[in-house]
Amino acid sequence: MNRFRKAHLFVALLNIGAALALSISLPRMRVQAAAAPITFSRQVAPILYKQCSGCHHPGGSGPFSLLSYADAKRWGKQIQTVTQSRYMPPWLPEPGFGNFADSRRLSSEDLELLKLWVEGGMPEGDPGEAPKAPIFSGEWQLGPPDLILKVTSPMQVPASGPDLFRNFILPVPIAETKYVRAMEIRPGAAQVVHHANMLIDRTASFRRQHPDDWKEGIPGMELAVDSGDSFDPDSHFLFWKPDSPALVEPNGMPWRVDPGNDLILNMHLKPTGKVETIQATVGLYFSDKPATAHPMLLQLEHDRAINIPAGDAAFVIEDQLKLPLDVDVLGVYPHAHYLGKRFEGYATLPNGEKKWLVLIRDWDIDRQSVYRFQSPVFLPKNSVLHMRYTYDNSSGNVRNPNSPPIPVKAGNRSVDEMGHLWIQVLPRPLPKAGGDPRMLLERAWMQNNLRKDPDDHVALYNLASMEMASGDYESAATLYRHILTRTPEDVRALIALGAALEKTRDWQQAQEKYEKALAVDPQNVDGLFDLAHLESEHGSYAEAERNYRRLLAVNPKDASAHNEFGKVLLATNRDAEATQEFEAAIAIAPEDLDALYNLAGIEADKGELPRAANLLEQALKLRDDADARQLLGSVYAQSGKLADALDQFKAVQTFRPHEAVPHRQLAQIYAQMGQLRDAINEQNIAISLEPKNADDWNNLGVLHARNGDAVMARKDFDRALTLDPQHVAARANRARL
Amino acid sequence: MLFTRRTMRRLLSLLFTFVTVLLLAEVCPAQGERAVYGYNLNGEPVTSLASSGVAAVVLFFAATDCPLSNRYLPEIRRIEQKFYSRHIVVWIVYPNFGETSVGVKQHEAAYGVEDHVLLDPNHQLVALAHAKVTPESAVLIPETADAKMFRTVYHGRVDDRYLRLGLEKPIAAQHDLERAIEAALQKRAVEQPGGPAVGCGIIGRP
Repeated sequence: MNRFRKAHLFVALLNIGAALALSISLPRMRVQAAAAPITFSRQVAPILYKQCSGCHHPGGSGPFSLLSYADAKRWGKQIQTVTQSRYMPPWLPEPGFGNFADSRRLSSEDLELLKLWVEGGMPEGDPGEAPKAPIFSGEWQLGPPDLILKVTSPMQVPASGPDLFRNFILPVPIAETKYVRAMEIRPGAAQVVHHANMLIDRTASFRRQHPDDWKEGIPGMELAVDSGDSFDPDSHFLFWKPDSPALVEPNGMPWRVDPGNDLILNMHLKPTGKVETIQATVGLYFSDKPATAHPMLLQLEHDRAINIPAGDAAFVIEDQLKLPLDVDVLGVYPHAHYLGKRFEGYATLPNGEKKWLVLIRDWDIDRQSVYRFQSPVFLPKNSVLHMRYTYDNSSGNVRNPNSPPIPVKAGNRSVDEMGHLWIQVLPRPLPKAGGDPRMLLERAWMQNNLRKDPDDHVALYNLASMEMASGDYESAATLYRHILTRTPEDVRALIALGAALEKTRDWQQAQEKYEKALAVDPQNVDGLFDLAHLESEHGSYAEAERNYRRLLAVNPKDASAHNEFGKVLLATNRDAEATQEFEAAIAIAPEDLDALYNLAGIEADKGELPRAANLLEQALKLRDDADARQLLGSVYAQSGKLADALDQFKAVQTFRPHEAVPHRQLAQIYAQMGQLRDAINEQNIAISLEPKNADDWNNLGVLHARNGDAVMARKDFDRALTLDPQHVAARANRARL
Repeated sequence: MLFTRRTMRRLLSLLFTFVTVLLLAEVCPAQGERAVYGYNLNGEPVTSLASSGVAAVVLFFAATDCPLSNRYLPEIRRIEQKFYSRHIVVWIVYPNFGETSVGVKQHEAAYGVEDHVLLDPNHQLVALAHAKVTPESAVLIPETADAKMFRTVYHGRVDDRYLRLGLEKPIAAQHDLERAIEAALQKRAVEQPGGPAVGCGIIGRP
């Protein structure tokens, strides 16, 4: 009670203080105003150049230019009106509920200056005091891009009518993986394109869904793409709005694009009054280094709960997600359609503190944007992310696309609704080297989705994939079976279940699942590959050969299939044909380490040691690999390059510290080099790792004998003969002592 | 009481007509002297908005650099098409200071050529139509058979798609201008717009 009174008293004092200050300062202000009027050059130009000219310049998305005094004076009254109402510059987030970089919101001081300037007759002041107007050239902002992509067919946007939402597919013509450090989107006619989102389609799935019309662009506000089988979550906001500069990713955070990927430009188009032709181009700038930090996009949503009764002016959906690890939040992207009203995004910390991420009081789809934090927002493990969106489906909502209002559910059309809060987080490394922290986030996210919908197909599939990655094949199989209870002919789930069963050694069941998948889709390359691979593993080479040939007839460019088929041919002693397959694999995918290794093996067997060495050296430039080093060590040893062989075998030891083989090989190389002490040392290590190997004891005996230690040598041969009384070499060596 | 109110309304209407006539009298200062409504794209004065026999003149205030005004051009064309056979004339009026005939011609080349276009640098038609923003519209009815004097029966928004800057309906529900033309042609009372015109402020001489 006392505190309450004190608070009131404080306010009262403040009011008195304010009144006093006003009464004292007013005359001074008048004098000041008379002495130094607000001018374009001194106060207004800096505001316009910073907050307005990004769109309002010739060729920009703004309808008129604001780059000179004449421009500003001409539009002065309009500037006053639209800034006072905060229609301009467009900015939805409420101040004080998230500290965003590149905020377009004008400060109260700036608003007041603009108002006073217009009311004061819009004087120019001394032109010498004005800052230099920004320059907007038609060139790429970061110089010539490394790769320019262009939408295949231009699109004509009609002169009038409702807004359009179109997805343009941009195949990426690259032969090797690239890392994109920056991107500039040039949408075409800037005044037509309201905003755009870029998606990476890792499997070109959207293009395959629309084989006949993808070049014209596919209508739709949202889309889902198949991210493929590898764990590769979306990680970056690739968003464009009219004043977006080139998108430069933070250091160490380029995004990856692989051969065969498509980029999809999802565009919101607004008719301008005349027919406009748009044909977007995208400039990509590559980094020579892959990412060292891996952000991830998390999504809060509850589309399933969207069932908004007609007339309901305050329909609420909520979602929450508990973070399984520490993260830094880098940005947010709230999204809904026309009925969205109030959006809240926040986190509840483990100590109960509420940390706002974003608050939008009056959502407007036309002004949507990605909001990046000025500095990352740290959220400790066990913080809970919250989303609470309110919708207005009454006739009082003028943006309501249905008149009179009708019940609205979630969907892809503009008359449907959505409610998403995308959050870009950078997970902090796990305390113990525990793998990819994004896996934990993915798991928490998917489990959250299953809580909302136990039959969520994507969540079940993704969780199963993670169980596969963690080696829990039984759990994965259970989840795949769950999917198949609802969609028994889901080819992908059938193949994935087959893979899980193969891992649990139930290979007959696995084979049955692959065959069932192929009965539904006889040309499914994944099904053909997995079945052929299984057959090959179980010695059914004829069947494997038949299925690899079927696969390669469907997709002759499948490097992995060429490589695996080569292995089948090798197993059936058709080295020349196998060589052709490995060479085909390498021609398609020069980075195919397996094919390089397999071909090197054939060359080494043929005695083509320089070519074998060359292939293996090529492979090792791509990736360090113990098998390749081991084979290369042997090739070097056979070529007499003992020092080089020694280096390779030493490197193998770092990969396989608990394996006897590299120690054995090192012992032999040392022996050949005459370094008997080192040889004995390595041989002893090999024996410590595999103490019951009679060959090793025999070899140790030979080394001891050559080193002049007959006593030790005899003991070694005896040990070998104890382990294997029939060991011919040990018996002969002992006799020679 | 009700009767009294009706009487008052009629009186107001008469007063309004009187004021309109006065305004027109400003445009047409004296008998025999031709009023200049604006200038066509060749720089020539426009002294007649319509020939005799016209049923109504529709003014649409536009600007080459106002996106809202541009977005309405197809709608104005649709309205013109709809009433074409019923003797209306539509004028696209560019009232902003700084608009040039060259600029308007370029704009027309992009957005479509109109039959009747004029620049209104002296804001004669702006005053007649009480226009404040682009896009805005007005419906004039000839007071005389030779179509030399007009009475403004409607002025304001074209429709209700924009309720204020930043507040836009997906499609318009109330087509105020269209309804006003129809009423004027049927010689019925013309309903005034249900909300303010929304757009870019008309720019006068500095």
